[in-house]
Amino acid sequence: MNIIYVLIPLSVILMVLAIAFFFWAVKNDQFDDLDTPALDVLDEDDEKDRGGEG
Amino acid sequence: MDRHQDGACWHCGQPIPAGVDLRAHIGGEARAMCCHGCHTVASLIDQAGLGRYYEFRDALPERPELKDTVAEDYVAWDRPAVLSHYAKPDCDGLYRLSLVLENVHCTACAWLIHRFVGSLKGVAEIRVDVTDGRAHLRYNPERTPLSEIAARLASLGYRPHLDSPLAGTARNQTERRQMLKYIVVAGLGMMQVMSYALAKYIGAWQGMDADTERFFLLISMVVAVPVCLYSGQLFYKSAWRTLIQGRMGMDVPVSAAMLLALFSSVFITLFGSGPVYFDSVVMFIFFLLLGRYAVLVARQNAGQLHSALARSLPVQARRLTGQGPEMVSLIELEAGDRVQVGSGETIPADGRIVGGSVMVDESLLSGESVPRRRVIDDRVLAGSLVREGQMTLEIEELGQSTALSGIVRMLDQARTYKPRMALMADRLAAWFVAFVLTGAGVAGLVWWQIDPAMALPVVLAVLVVSCPCALALGTPVALAAAARGFARLGVLISRPDALEILPRISHVVLDKTGTLTLPEMRIGQIMSSQGQDEDRLRLLAGRLERASRHPVASAFAGYDDGGEVEAADAVTAAGVAGVIDGVPYRLGKPSFAAELSGNSLTEPGPGQWVALASEAGLLAWFRIDSPLREGATALIEGLREAGMEIWLASGDRAENVDRVASKLGIDNVLSDCAPADKLALVQRLQAEGARVAMIGDGINDAPVLAGADVSMALAEGADIARTQADLVVTGKGLGRISAAFALAPRVRRVVRQNLALSFTYNATALPFAAAGFVPPWLAAIGMSASSLVVVMNGYRLGRAELVRGEREKSASSAKAGSEPAALPTA
Repeated sequence: MNIIYVLIPLSVILMVLAIAFFFWAVKNDQFDDLDTPALDVLDEDDEKDRGGEG
Repeated sequence: MDRHQDGACWHCGQPIPAGVDLRAHIGGEARAMCCHGCHTVASLIDQAGLGRYYEFRDALPERPELKDTVAEDYVAWDRPAVLSHYAKPDCDGLYRLSLVLENVHCTACAWLIHRFVGSLKGVAEIRVDVTDGRAHLRYNPERTPLSEIAARLASLGYRPHLDSPLAGTARNQTERRQMLKYIVVAGLGMMQVMSYALAKYIGAWQGMDADTERFFLLISMVVAVPVCLYSGQLFYKSAWRTLIQGRMGMDVPVSAAMLLALFSSVFITLFGSGPVYFDSVVMFIFFLLLGRYAVLVARQNAGQLHSALARSLPVQARRLTGQGPEMVSLIELEAGDRVQVGSGETIPADGRIVGGSVMVDESLLSGESVPRRRVIDDRVLAGSLVREGQMTLEIEELGQSTALSGIVRMLDQARTYKPRMALMADRLAAWFVAFVLTGAGVAGLVWWQIDPAMALPVVLAVLVVSCPCALALGTPVALAAAARGFARLGVLISRPDALEILPRISHVVLDKTGTLTLPEMRIGQIMSSQGQDEDRLRLLAGRLERASRHPVASAFAGYDDGGEVEAADAVTAAGVAGVIDGVPYRLGKPSFAAELSGNSLTEPGPGQWVALASEAGLLAWFRIDSPLREGATALIEGLREAGMEIWLASGDRAENVDRVASKLGIDNVLSDCAPADKLALVQRLQAEGARVAMIGDGINDAPVLAGADVSMALAEGADIARTQADLVVTGKGLGRISAAFALAPRVRRVVRQNLALSFTYNATALPFAAAGFVPPWLAAIGMSASSLVVVMNGYRLGRAELVRGEREKSASSAKAGSEPAALPTA
């Protein structure tokens, strides 16, 4: 049973990492638009004719 | 798809008028269209290969105007002043800029814009926020000027406006992001802590050694304490704020329960022995946060005042300089500048006319339906529309000091009358909170006498079980679902609590111009004097009126075949003259038309008549009607049957208002009223105990819309009215308003069910908790379960079948009630 003394603190560290990653994602606009990306998948044509580079 | 019904326009979903046979090819199939505006937009969408918009969308667009938008309409937006004022430079010569778009309703709109505008050369990125209708643009002005992007948006019907950098979008975004962080931290923390708690419960059965148990306790504490302190700060702060103001809020017992449970658990973990509640606290915080997030999103979706003002002003102005006129943006104008305003243009600022004379339509500001003549030295107001003529204007007041801004401010004040409901809810909550706190205290004291070990769990159970969570969630969730249902009906909800009040409305105040009547006019009756062919008369009149921009001309626009008119001339405040096939004609006021032949003419009856005459004398009389909107009769009848008192309040002249009122059987009429008078009427009715719904469309209605208990605006109307309204009704007819009134009682029923459910739960659970039968974890589960039940119940309102029934009903009643819809106005 001693393994839990390692695994459970490990799970806590993982949770902290997950939260840090989520905060990073929020900061980088990943959660501002939750509606349109769902439709992007439906586009069949590729994006190579889109001129906007940058 | 269910919204493509027979006889409805494929693009905007409105009924196709009789005699219109327009088809656009969408994805290879011919689809029926109701007007050229829809036809243009639909063809545009199809040509760009974006026909799938019609599959994705879940709200119908408004009917687009038939107007070719070209980049020149927005040419002033390419000026450096605009770029430096509104845009922020990014790397690689790119700029970031936000635009406020009209008519963005659903995800499909965002997709369409993304594809259609995103394909422009200089556009690196365009992201549309469906919730607030803003487009966030990253573009290179050297490669694609802003005017071209703006013209593209406008051609699809999403008219863009420059977003003032002062607007509170950044604050909204920070608020939303902060809330998301709270929720995720609480959610992840909850999973961790609950897994430890579960291990402990299982361990209790199987015999866990003391060290392991202690380890689980400590690790629970290590996770739960920071999570509770971080995610719960929203509640602690709000509770603290209410406490130092000497009030009682919902957050006070909530915070008390959280902190009490947390710190007692920490104390027990470190120094004592007994049950701990880390899992309950974290779960409690998580579910409460979910509810708060839903409320926050709904609140942020309400329109923004600031951009509303910009929407009522023109995009650019023609400033006169030493080198001639140049197009400038409004931010470049200063008091003392001279600008030129031509027919069909909106006046950019308050000022004095220094040259020319014009007919000015001030209906948006005053409600007066007939344009006024303004000459040199007259003052004109920003936001009014020049119908005819051209003038040079010397600017006196700009921006915040215009009369238009004054109306906006008045409307801000009117809004403060609104939260009466909210105040009552606050007072109720205070009582409830006081009751719960006393109850918990008493239970704790009693248990302290009986069994001190039970005192803490009982107090916690009482606090948690009586959490007004379901009570607090039940209403917003039902309203949010109903808002989705209403959107399917074509009624957009910007303030969901209005739905709760809608079924309790006792008085309805209606505006006339543009609300009950259509903004366009039409020919009601023709009296030909010499046995002339009526079609020929209409054709002549149609050709002659081409020269005029007076509203009366809109009645004849449909009959113009494009034939040649020589010496066409529109005489302000009189009529039009012209020569067709060598014969001179005059059309307009009787005295003006009579000048050709020399005989005097008198109008043949009540109403607004224009005469068509040649040198031989009178040819015909045309009666010009301002037709009622489709469904107006049905709406009024429906409201009266529902027992509501109906008022007609209009800024128009008494004779016009009375005629409409008697036609529809409305007894309570108020005419010639300024925006303040309408507001006074509504407030007087409210003071008498009435709950007033206001239906309007113009800027002059905006303050009264803000002051009414429930306000509805027509989507066709002024933007400023739309942002003030609780409900925005799309489409040309009034049938959707009837449907909204019909659906509202159902919303109220579900809200009541939810309130009853949560009250029953709280009332039954409380005694059990106080008696010590409910451990805190069960209390937390019971609280969550009750919330879940009300949420599911609320979601029923968004279901499609329910809405479809209402829509069919309203469609058939609108048809039945719309027939004899024309009536004369002067």
